[in-house]
Amino acid sequence: MKKKIVSLVLAGTMMAMTLAGCGSSEPQNTSSTPASAAGSEEQKNNEAVEASKEEAPKEEENLSEIEKIIKEAEGMTMEELAKKAIEESNGKTFYGVGNSSRGKTALPLFIEYLQSIDSSYTMEYEWQQPKNNKIFEQLTADSLKETGTFAMTLIQDGNQIESKMVQPGILKTYIPKEWADANGTTADAYEGFLPLQTLNKVFMYNCTGDAVYDNCWDFVAEGNHSLYMDIDSEIVGKNFLYMLTEDKYAAWLKEAFEALDDSDKAYFQPVIDEMKSEAEDLGLGADGAYALAWIKLWVESYNAQTDDGPICNTLVTDSATDQSGLLVYSKLRSVEESAGVSLNNIKVAAYEDGYTGIGGYGYCHYLFVTNNSPLPWTACAFIAYMTCTEDGFSAWGKDMGGYSSNPEVATAIETTYQHSKGGYNEAGENVFECKNDRGYDWWTTDGELVLEDPEYCASVAFTVGSWIELLTKYSAE
Amino acid sequence: MNSKHMANRVKTYLSKPQNIILLLFGIVLTFTTVAPIVAIVKDTLIIHPGTIDAHLTGKTSGYTVVNYVDLFTSKLAKTNLWKPLWNTLLLAVFTCTISILYGGFFAFLVTRTNLKFKKYLSSIFIFPYIMPQWTLAVVWQNVFNSNAVVGTSNGLLASLFGIEMPKWWCQGLFPSSIVLGLHYAPFAYILIGGIFRNMDANLEEAATILDTPKWKTMFRITLPMIKPAILSTILLVFGSAMGSYPVPHYLGLTTLSTKYISLNSKYTGEASILAIIMMIFGVAILTMNQVSLKSRKNYTTVTGKSGQLSKINLGKVGKYLIAVVMVVLTFFTSIFPIFSFALETFLPNPGDYSFLYTKDVSNLTTKWWITNENITENGMYGQKGILYNETIWHAFAGTLLVAVCCALLAGTIGTLIGYAVAKNRRSKWASYVNGVAFLPYLMPSIAVGAAFFILFSNEKINLFNTYTLLIIAGTIKYIPFASRSALNSMLQLSNEIEEAAIIQNVPWFKRMFRIIVPIQKSSIISGYMLPFMTCLRELSLFLLLCTQGFILSTTLDYFDEMGLYAFSSAINLILIVTILIFNTLVNKLTGASLDDGIGSN
Repeated sequence: MKKKIVSLVLAGTMMAMTLAGCGSSEPQNTSSTPASAAGSEEQKNNEAVEASKEEAPKEEENLSEIEKIIKEAEGMTMEELAKKAIEESNGKTFYGVGNSSRGKTALPLFIEYLQSIDSSYTMEYEWQQPKNNKIFEQLTADSLKETGTFAMTLIQDGNQIESKMVQPGILKTYIPKEWADANGTTADAYEGFLPLQTLNKVFMYNCTGDAVYDNCWDFVAEGNHSLYMDIDSEIVGKNFLYMLTEDKYAAWLKEAFEALDDSDKAYFQPVIDEMKSEAEDLGLGADGAYALAWIKLWVESYNAQTDDGPICNTLVTDSATDQSGLLVYSKLRSVEESAGVSLNNIKVAAYEDGYTGIGGYGYCHYLFVTNNSPLPWTACAFIAYMTCTEDGFSAWGKDMGGYSSNPEVATAIETTYQHSKGGYNEAGENVFECKNDRGYDWWTTDGELVLEDPEYCASVAFTVGSWIELLTKYSAE
Repeated sequence: MNSKHMANRVKTYLSKPQNIILLLFGIVLTFTTVAPIVAIVKDTLIIHPGTIDAHLTGKTSGYTVVNYVDLFTSKLAKTNLWKPLWNTLLLAVFTCTISILYGGFFAFLVTRTNLKFKKYLSSIFIFPYIMPQWTLAVVWQNVFNSNAVVGTSNGLLASLFGIEMPKWWCQGLFPSSIVLGLHYAPFAYILIGGIFRNMDANLEEAATILDTPKWKTMFRITLPMIKPAILSTILLVFGSAMGSYPVPHYLGLTTLSTKYISLNSKYTGEASILAIIMMIFGVAILTMNQVSLKSRKNYTTVTGKSGQLSKINLGKVGKYLIAVVMVVLTFFTSIFPIFSFALETFLPNPGDYSFLYTKDVSNLTTKWWITNENITENGMYGQKGILYNETIWHAFAGTLLVAVCCALLAGTIGTLIGYAVAKNRRSKWASYVNGVAFLPYLMPSIAVGAAFFILFSNEKINLFNTYTLLIIAGTIKYIPFASRSALNSMLQLSNEIEEAAIIQNVPWFKRMFRIIVPIQKSSIISGYMLPFMTCLRELSLFLLLCTQGFILSTTLDYFDEMGLYAFSSAINLILIVTILIFNTLVNKLTGASLDDGIGSN
């Protein structure tokens, strides 16, 4: 019966194809690509990425109008740029779109800044925050117009940005001069996207019981079901898994495995052995099997949740004994102490003495100018304002767990908000250890934060990615 | 001569207002129904950069059928297609069954027995339909979840009594079917109850006189008489259940709708195929209904000659006992959720019921309502309190705008179509217009939303996140509410009434406003009220068409997903109060209401 249905549908499809006269002449693979071929697929992707990287800088005459403006803006100071923005957008409406709602908070501050230069300046604004990956479709649809609606975007998920936005030329990177100076680089020398900030998702667990999580492999141990946002609804979560297969992070997993005691090793070893041939087929490095084993156990065990908010709400209750999760660190800021809820019910795994292995995952919010931006100078000025001034970053900086990509801004934010002592009360007592944010430098070294690399994610999305999709997720069904 | 004859024929044809209506809406509705379908079919064949089709073809633009091949034949076919399809069908079937059994049984009790508290029960029974469908799902979680079984914090049962329900009860097909079944049971109640109430008692009485056993009377006489209502319920509920996104999403069931959303980022073209599959079911249901209408035995249910219906006596105790059971049941499906929403807005943290077991009211707070700034970090995730939250009130204004516009447009267009179809009931074109107007309702909302998004996201028209798009989609989707309601009532209206006015040379507008509308006031009002109410809490249709904060349902869903239950609960309360106010207002002004007197006898 099933075969009949398949045949019928396929026959219909073929008819549609014939009628439309639009069959592709390319040989068609399917996602059932044999695992043995996947290695060469990855090679093909890597080559494509390399090729795009090695592209010679565009000649001036080949640049789009927006790219020309960006190039000019990259040589300007913040104030020069602000004057251009005032000239361009006075009395107009600025449309921005982003994954973070805080863009809406930053925009009025930006307008105030422009008004400090020209008191007669006014600008209306609208900030949209689409859901469910809709931002990519929204930007793609907007890119079809000669002059778009959106002037700029603040967007996450390096993988999709690379493949859906940057490669098709929908979004353009602008590197502010002050940002480049602060990072000891120049706009021409810098490669990659412009990050506004790095956010971290970290392993936490409820400590009201006696469960011990002193190794990142404990989160995938038998019977453990950590809470995590569904990787199909928040794609950056899937990028975390992709990144684990990169050599550096696979090696971290191997190191952590070797630190386990013999009984734990005996449990995980068969899975690692089973993954060796898979890792080879997927073209992964020497420690790839450790990464695949961890990913397999994680996907087959994590308890999918709709957002990090409910995960945090659960972990801090006294009834969530021994429960664990991987969630955005900043969620801890909004917990109110009550009889059944306390921040002291929770521990950040990486902060605990003796903890071994990855402490979490860091991903970025990137800033781009759209290639058909209606207000490109204003977009550049707004981007410069957010990345190069403390006020501009304050919409995000007041929270723990988000680190400005500009080291000077990051230092200023820490001085103002003292996130490293976020768990101290007014009397100077350390009340909530988990809220003392150890900062970006600690997390990316001692904290073993796995960092998103958009190019790497894009290169393995259809190799490791397709392999992950074949795993059976832990669910009710 | 021929051309003059033709011109005269056209002139005569167009001299009848009903013909102009049919011609105009036939063309417009063909476009508004077919164009989105064409757009979504095209989307299945387009190569989308950064997705599976681009990867498999090695191209970044052009056309391909690789999405079909991959979806139906890859190793992921079971995960991405067959299992979600199976779950979707099961969900739709169980939802229909539950809604018909529960709604039908309740309709029977209210109309055919001497049950007590009918008026109260009848009003309260339709509450789950008024509320957004996933709110019952959230309530279900808040009551039954437990740390030991589903790994989240303890719900009410586990917190207060240590009762841990099994996983199949907390997540998956079972709770999804129950929640959707309860949500759509009022449909069955209204449709089946309408027939029970107007049913000719002669047949049953004849059976009683002939000493036919009660069960035989039920299966041979009563049930066949309500068969049309059951079929109508199936027609309305099946497609709606198939296209429901939020309920299976919250209760962890993978259906075509949830799969559509999860596939959309990497498998964009394949997701569109899922939308087409859902649409095919809509068309199939409509076709089956048409076939069944043709072959259906003709049961006259409303003769106007029937004597008083014989009421089954439930006994002195029985009429109270069953009423109390129903009061308790409806308490949990209708009143408890409202209490639960209200309570949630006073909890210090989402789902933190510590005041219940500590018996300490200091563990309650009013911060979710009265905080008027979002600078200080006081556990509100950067949001202002409900009373001062611009996002919520802006969305509320947006929702009212969309609901009012959709109700006015869909109500007017639907009524005109109903009128015109009734006047030309034997015309094939009229029957086509009637079908094409009804089709969008049978198509799952998420698929219709997806199709409208694709249709209006191009280089010439880009309507994403505009009220215009929401109003267009809502109007098209809800025209059937008005067209069906108008058609059914207009069919009962004798042509002679209008003909008398035509002889007197009364213009069409005057005929409509002085004769037709006043006579059919009740059904016309419900043709406006149903789109209004449905629009207020519609999510699946609008999910893909706008951002959160644009209308209340997307804002509510956003807060629910974020786990900020105080805000989502407050929005629920706002929605319920709004609907009740409008319902009461319309009821007072026009005498029409949703349950329309079913419980009043």
